[in-house]
Amino acid sequence: MIKRFGGLTAVDGVSFDVFEGTIKALIGPNGAGKSTLFNALTGFDKPDRGSVLFEGAELVGRRPRDAVRAGVARTFQNTQLFNEMTAGENVMVGAQAHQRRGFSAAMLRLPAAASEERKAREEAGRLLRLIGIEEWIDVPAADLPAGIRRLVEIARALATGPRLLLLDEPAAGLNATESHELVQTLFRVRDAGITVVVVEHDMGLVMDVSDEIVVLDRGRKIAEGPPRMIQKDPVVIAAYLGEGADEDV
Amino acid sequence: MGGRTLRALAPLVAIVVVAVLPLLVTDRFLLKVFTFAGINALVVTGLALLFGHAGQVSLGHAAFVGIGAYTCAFCTVRLGWPWPLAFAASGVLAALGGLVLALPSLRLKGYYLAMATLGFGLLMSLAFTEAEPLTGGVDGFRGIPFPSLGPLEVHDAASLYWLVWATVGIALVAAFNLTSMRPGRAMRALHGSEPGAQACGVDVVGVKVRTFVVSALLAGLAGALYASVVGFISPSVFTFGASITFLAMAVVGGTNSLAGPLVAAVVLTLVQYLDALIPGIPRETAQLLQSYREDIYGLAIILVVVFAPGGLAGMWRRRGKGGDAA
Repeated sequence: MIKRFGGLTAVDGVSFDVFEGTIKALIGPNGAGKSTLFNALTGFDKPDRGSVLFEGAELVGRRPRDAVRAGVARTFQNTQLFNEMTAGENVMVGAQAHQRRGFSAAMLRLPAAASEERKAREEAGRLLRLIGIEEWIDVPAADLPAGIRRLVEIARALATGPRLLLLDEPAAGLNATESHELVQTLFRVRDAGITVVVVEHDMGLVMDVSDEIVVLDRGRKIAEGPPRMIQKDPVVIAAYLGEGADEDV
Repeated sequence: MGGRTLRALAPLVAIVVVAVLPLLVTDRFLLKVFTFAGINALVVTGLALLFGHAGQVSLGHAAFVGIGAYTCAFCTVRLGWPWPLAFAASGVLAALGGLVLALPSLRLKGYYLAMATLGFGLLMSLAFTEAEPLTGGVDGFRGIPFPSLGPLEVHDAASLYWLVWATVGIALVAAFNLTSMRPGRAMRALHGSEPGAQACGVDVVGVKVRTFVVSALLAGLAGALYASVVGFISPSVFTFGASITFLAMAVVGGTNSLAGPLVAAVVLTLVQYLDALIPGIPRETAQLLQSYREDIYGLAIILVVVFAPGGLAGMWRRRGKGGDAA
């Protein structure tokens, strides 16, 4: 049932597995190395040593688009939407990962290219509906509220057809209602068979969604386990949660 | 509602106006000016893709026009090729030039890419002058034949005009197809956010190189048309100043648009021949405009970049949104 599906050994000696169909949270103070890990996982950055195995294939040293092709998609801590394009077009750029027709087919508007376009447009509509933001489809990304921008970026990442989705602080800038909806969205994504790794500071959300949590501190893994264990772990409380722990947990 | 009707009608009206113009304008020089406007529009359509959509600056596009012009001249005059073959070769060679420049330099960004294209433009400008056996050197290349298809030669002003604008029309349709489909979204995506585009699996370098090649191809075809229409070319035509002129047209025309750069190309071409258009204008004014042409275009680029980054097209879009955006 459970398949070994990913593993990471970064330069700071961090290593963990993510199991298929689960939601894993990476938490830790700023500078703990969370975003660096994400960049290494998605080809944006090369670790000096170590390896990222995804479904048995090595991801380290390859380009971002190879990671996308292998089935790993991501969002960014600072959303990287295409501001001059609509929400729908943004998601369609994600869907282009499945389009095969390039420049010449498009210039001649060949039927094959046109039908791929139709599919990409339908896929964008479907994903925006799945996330519950279809009413924003024709709005330029520059005009979207911060919360919607986060969700559009998730839809765009999903459009690449990933089996592993990496979310870098998806709840930053969301209000309470939007956060709640994000949790529902993440469950829906997981139930669709997509594995999720999420970096997040919102402890309430982390405890709600994750099956397992990895706690990083200064580039080292200091704890790993299900939320209830992490909440009680004295090392975590001391090193990370600190005095503020009582309110959050 | 009014905006939508206008949007649908504008291309139709433009096509009709462009098509019937030679029937209304009998002055041969004036018709030639409109023909030049079409040749510039062809170059600028390529830049509308490269700069306007993909956000890549080229300060050397006159070099591709030059490659096309000299290829057409050499193939027709020296090799005696039929015109359509020479025309195609002009596009292919310019596209190859684009590929050679694009492969190494498109890994560069921003200023560095601009410098690489600038260097390429200056280098080619020098090559046109120095490669005398091929290009005729500073004296230029004479006696380039009119466009022809078999026994059919296009030599009167109206037919040349129609040939040029038909080419522009085909290029615009192809460019529109590109921009409205996957490649266009990829171009705009890497302009909007390169990390975002990479995260979507967009082949960032590949899209840049292809866009560069398409824009070089259009510039090469424009050069071939120029050589065939005028019959004489010299290195003084394909200078850095000409590159700036093309870029100014694309910048003023605006981003993410084909219509804006098209309008800008036509208007800014006509401005150079103001005295021919409006007979009342004093000769000195016209000459002043001519001699400070490149300075005026340079200034236009700065003004647009500072005050209206979206260019004409951006201003039009904002106007269209008007009420509900605020």
